Amino acid sequence: MDLKSERINIGNGIHLNFIKTDKFKSNLLSYYFLRPLTKEEVTKNALLPLVLKRGTEEYDTNLKIQKKLEENYGASLSIAINKRGEKHVLRFTVETIIGDYVGDKDYIYEVVDLLKSIVYNPVLEKGYFKKEYVDQEKENLRRRIEGRINDKRSYALDRCIEEMCKKERFSLYPLGNIKDLDDIDEDVLYSHYQKIIKESPIEIFYVGEYDEKLVEYIKNAEKIERNNITRLPKEQIISGVKTKNMVYEDLDVTQGKLVLGFRTGIHYDDRLYNGLIVASDILGGGPNSKLFRNVREKESLAYYISSSVFKYKSIMLIDGGIEFDNFEKTIDIIKDQLEEIKKGNFTDEDMEISKKSIKASTESIKDSIFLISEFFFSQILSEDNRSLREILNDIDAVKREEIIESMSRVVLDTIYFMKNSKS
Amino acid sequence: MDIKIYENKKIREKLFYKEMKSGLRVYFMPKEGYTKQYAIFATDYGSIDNIFVPIGEKEAIEVPEGIAHFLEHKLFEDPEQSLFDKFSKLGASVNAYTNFNQTAYLFSTTENFYESLKLLIEFVQHPYFTDENVEKEKGIISQEINMYLDNPNWRVFFNCLRAMYNEHPVRIDIAGTVDSIQEITTELLYKCYNTFYNPTNMVLFVVGDLSFDEILKVVDKSERKDYEEVEKINRVFPVESKEVNTKIIEESMMTSNPLFYMGFKDYDCGLTGREEVKKDFVTNIILDMLFGSSSEFYNKLYDEGLIDSSFGAYFTGKKSYGHSLVVGESKDPKEVYNRIIKLLESPVEKILLEEDFNRIKSKSMGEFLMGLNSVEFIANNFVDLYFDGFLLIDYLDLLETIEYKEILERFKEHFTKENTVLSIINPIGQ
Repeated sequence: MDLKSERINIGNGIHLNFIKTDKFKSNLLSYYFLRPLTKEEVTKNALLPLVLKRGTEEYDTNLKIQKKLEENYGASLSIAINKRGEKHVLRFTVETIIGDYVGDKDYIYEVVDLLKSIVYNPVLEKGYFKKEYVDQEKENLRRRIEGRINDKRSYALDRCIEEMCKKERFSLYPLGNIKDLDDIDEDVLYSHYQKIIKESPIEIFYVGEYDEKLVEYIKNAEKIERNNITRLPKEQIISGVKTKNMVYEDLDVTQGKLVLGFRTGIHYDDRLYNGLIVASDILGGGPNSKLFRNVREKESLAYYISSSVFKYKSIMLIDGGIEFDNFEKTIDIIKDQLEEIKKGNFTDEDMEISKKSIKASTESIKDSIFLISEFFFSQILSEDNRSLREILNDIDAVKREEIIESMSRVVLDTIYFMKNSKS
Repeated sequence: MDIKIYENKKIREKLFYKEMKSGLRVYFMPKEGYTKQYAIFATDYGSIDNIFVPIGEKEAIEVPEGIAHFLEHKLFEDPEQSLFDKFSKLGASVNAYTNFNQTAYLFSTTENFYESLKLLIEFVQHPYFTDENVEKEKGIISQEINMYLDNPNWRVFFNCLRAMYNEHPVRIDIAGTVDSIQEITTELLYKCYNTFYNPTNMVLFVVGDLSFDEILKVVDKSERKDYEEVEKINRVFPVESKEVNTKIIEESMMTSNPLFYMGFKDYDCGLTGREEVKKDFVTNIILDMLFGSSSEFYNKLYDEGLIDSSFGAYFTGKKSYGHSLVVGESKDPKEVYNRIIKLLESPVEKILLEEDFNRIKSKSMGEFLMGLNSVEFIANNFVDLYFDGFLLIDYLDLLETIEYKEILERFKEHFTKENTVLSIINPIGQ
């Protein structure tokens, strides 16, 4: 059965989305705040959820919040700060066990209240956020930004994006910039918070079992003062490449990390986008892909090598972990394999395998309460009205020519290589 | 057919079971309405089983470090066609993992489940090792090992194990070293395979919207029936003294902030089944009460800027080893260590309150129930518990039996200063 989202516009840029399912043992409630990804506000946006999570008017310390969650059968609270293309998304989520399992039907209202108050009723001091909390979370955020380097693979991917999109907003790191932190205090952050609450588009998602009473209850929380709802600009899509970029970074590492950044110029609502998804999977999706077979299985050059498309920004990245000396050899193989696809040198079976794999992971969304809400949220971001079933059908309908054509539009922009000159 | 059905009304789940003639045990948990179908075929053989008596021999041998993991990679070798391709064609995605205690092969799919199951059983039961394909794999696995060498979280963890254990092979890296894997040969791989991949040493677990009858038909048709009967696999573990190996290991590498793992080596090993799983629960509840995000300790150190949200603690206990780990990032790991020691010296009634126990217990129940939403959670935990001699379906019932007084007893026994170690990774130049 296809999942349906009941979408309610309650005005002022706020939407409720209810998705009914009795498949899970829990319910999920998420608030998404949408912001444009900009240099001016990225760090403040990132800091905000960290400070809000510290205390509400009623539960003014983390300790009290955590105890409250545990008393409610281990309801789990999470926050996230992500970029989706050139949009900055702040998410606040609680997941709770269905009342039936614990013999307590109505406790969900307490958890809904808690999440609402984390978002809308933070603990204040002299009319601003608590200075102590802001200072501590600034320090934590600074450490998290510095901690990027600990995961070398994702660091290398981020660095390639930064270099490639240097002049575009997409280069911004979603957790912000350490240099901005000095200028943020409890006053500055609180003003920013008020702006965000008043002006950001808000998407509220509920997945699980519900009745009219719960819908009304969640709806009623949104009677807040709102004005000047922010318009979110579309992503800047660049096709073609004027100057190619080669970036080396010298770090004390054992394994080299290679990332190739490509411009696709194919927007997600372009008819060729589905072709591109399949093309990228044939090239470097799974263990049957051309890169896995040639770079790993045939030449033993890498343990991981893969290709992925960044939907909202129309770029494609290929990354692998290799020995420093194999830099050129690996790039040559990658380029050759990409050419193979452009020339149409892939079998119908390759196509079928990739389509199946894309469809299976898309369909598996239905088995995760969290992915269900993320799926419907991304449909809203991309203004895509297709159902899951229609999306699967569109993948099925991709033709060989579309794969070739989409890959022919892909242009190499930036090569990033992390190496160690001492070894 | 002698099928056994376990039903647990509280968690609203069922479990089907049958032992095949070959000795292979098959379990199935139905998940109606689920899109994903998942099967895992696992052997009770991990990186710690590196001294054993090979089947048909009399003397114990010591095999190169990392061979269980190497074997996992090599089972994917097929004389005709890449196994990845075979699964991909069916729309299934296949994977495998090796940890200290098990090697598991698994796939998930949304279609062609029974054909994929056949393929899974066949490839795990038909090894195809050649000198050439063994040599080729050494390059790939070396890159995997190098990838872990650059991972500070992995390094700080293994240094902690090396600090705790003198002899026990849990101190060895699961994938071995670039040097140790060079010694691996086809002959050694077959020895390990023949000893540990006997159906009596394995389990097959399936979860999804499927039929147990169909599953059994496929198993019966696909499984090999020519295995030698094995009484008991003779594994040898060196005698591990109670004392820790060394109190502290510090290392510098490319990382932004100091990372630490503090370990408590467990004395009370040798338990199995219900007793072992219960000890696991009890110890983890204590750790959550002492160090969890609702503890006084966590919140005090967080406010002081000594720890951040990466701070956490957990216990692992197996037949031959066990330890609690308290982990995180800190500008001053040694101060965190001292504060933990000081906390443990406080009167136990002050740091382990009954109301906290009740709250953490109800939270653990909620977390387990939420876990049952995920077929991956179910399958991986099923296998882990199964080899400990316990069934996942009884998990919540066991949790409910835990009493406050057991918490106090276990605390006194496990959380002593003598059995602690500290592992730190410092940023380069500090």
